[in-house]
Amino acid sequence: MKTFRVIVRFSANSLQQVLSNVPVFLLFFFSKLVRYGLFLLFLILLFNGVSSVKGYSREQMLLFYLIFNVIDTTAQMMFREVYRFRSLIVTGGFDAVLTKPFSPIIRSLFGGPDFIDFGVLLIIVATTIYVANTYIHPSWLQIILFLAMIINSLLIAAAFHILVLGIGIITFSVDHLVMIFRDLTALMRIPVDMFTNPIRSILTFVIPVGIMFTYPAKVLFGLLSWQLVVVSFVFGGLSLYLSLKFWHYSLRQYQSASS
Amino acid sequence: MTYFLWHSVFSSNSNVFGYSKEQMMAYVFLVLLVTSFVMSAPSNDNVGGEISNGTLNNFFVKPISYLSYWLTRDWASKLLNMLFAVFEFSLLWFLFKPQIYFSQSPTQLLLGIFLTIISALIYFVITKLAISVAFWTPENTWGFMFIILVFMDVLAGSIFPLDLLPKSVMTFLQFTPFPYMIYYPIAILVGRVDLITALKILLQSMAMLGFWYYVVMKVWKKGLKNYAAVGI
Repeated sequence: MKTFRVIVRFSANSLQQVLSNVPVFLLFFFSKLVRYGLFLLFLILLFNGVSSVKGYSREQMLLFYLIFNVIDTTAQMMFREVYRFRSLIVTGGFDAVLTKPFSPIIRSLFGGPDFIDFGVLLIIVATTIYVANTYIHPSWLQIILFLAMIINSLLIAAAFHILVLGIGIITFSVDHLVMIFRDLTALMRIPVDMFTNPIRSILTFVIPVGIMFTYPAKVLFGLLSWQLVVVSFVFGGLSLYLSLKFWHYSLRQYQSASS
Repeated sequence: MTYFLWHSVFSSNSNVFGYSKEQMMAYVFLVLLVTSFVMSAPSNDNVGGEISNGTLNNFFVKPISYLSYWLTRDWASKLLNMLFAVFEFSLLWFLFKPQIYFSQSPTQLLLGIFLTIISALIYFVITKLAISVAFWTPENTWGFMFIILVFMDVLAGSIFPLDLLPKSVMTFLQFTPFPYMIYYPIAILVGRVDLITALKILLQSMAMLGFWYYVVMKVWKKGLKNYAAVGI
């Protein structure tokens, strides 16, 4: 409960910061909407020339992209503080985080959620619900499984960000790793099935971005076997467990050199 | 991503929007090279900061103008970037062995290369115009630049060839700098346009460069009058 209250305080501080400069907030908000809108437009245009792509209809492709954005934007919004972690390490400011009676990992992950992304997220979620409800008509079981898979995707995203924090403590490098992750996740704007092997297998089972972004949508369409659903949850749990192990290891390597 | 998307599209279609698979694969692969050349610019990450923190002062006493200084640094970065891009291009070529099609006319290929160089200059001018907003709002050097980059992301043609768009939209885009950065150079290189149209595009791009150069110089002059080195 205390943890939750502190996260709410972090969020309130972050929101105040965003609202202190409304024109900049609107500029970024509008830009992000334009970015998503233009790619959606491209997908719609593409299906003016073809009837299906790799067996997927226009509506399914739109949903793959929308669900990708729901997960990607939620992860970016929640874990934005990771992008600022390097300065804590190189200035020694992380000492102050460690001495406080609050989990340093929660502080480093959730210390500064991005409320520009939150505004965008609301619009994307509303669009996703509209498209899914109008064209897909999923059953309640599919919807519940889909929501569970989304949580699983966020666990994998959290695991990756914890890994970045851990590597950041050891090597002082954060930004490049986050950019690599962003580049890899950007591949998943289209379903992982469109990649040829061995790239498809690597993107699914080695760097599990396929599980993160494509599988939740496939569950919603009723196209994923129960075995792969189980495999996804195992990947989610395992990646979080391993990343936490690595975090504890990296904390032991922290030398507070710059403080 | 775009390679696999188009690869999937052409797995069940032989011709899409007038493009053969070879032409589209050539387009996708050339995007990698042209983007690396045109859109590599370390100035984008530095100019705004130097205006807002006042270190722009250092450049007033140097025997080279500030924008020329960054233009030379950008071009040095482009050449370095091209080395990596050629390596990536070769690796991807080796991995996927795509069948690709280029224009058979050497004149057209030369025109395409020349237009790519002009595109890099247009990109420099437009991004410096966007970042010059820092003269008036030094606390926000990235906002306007971000929106320009978002539009460039799609409207320059790096995700899809712009002739997929309705004709009226394409006609409108001709009056913006975006299609000159990626789409037109590649369209000429893969033979999507004939020689006369290629020459017309080249002239349009030079006019575009001249116009935006004039605008950026005007804005920069006004910005310098407003500049107070507040960060010092």
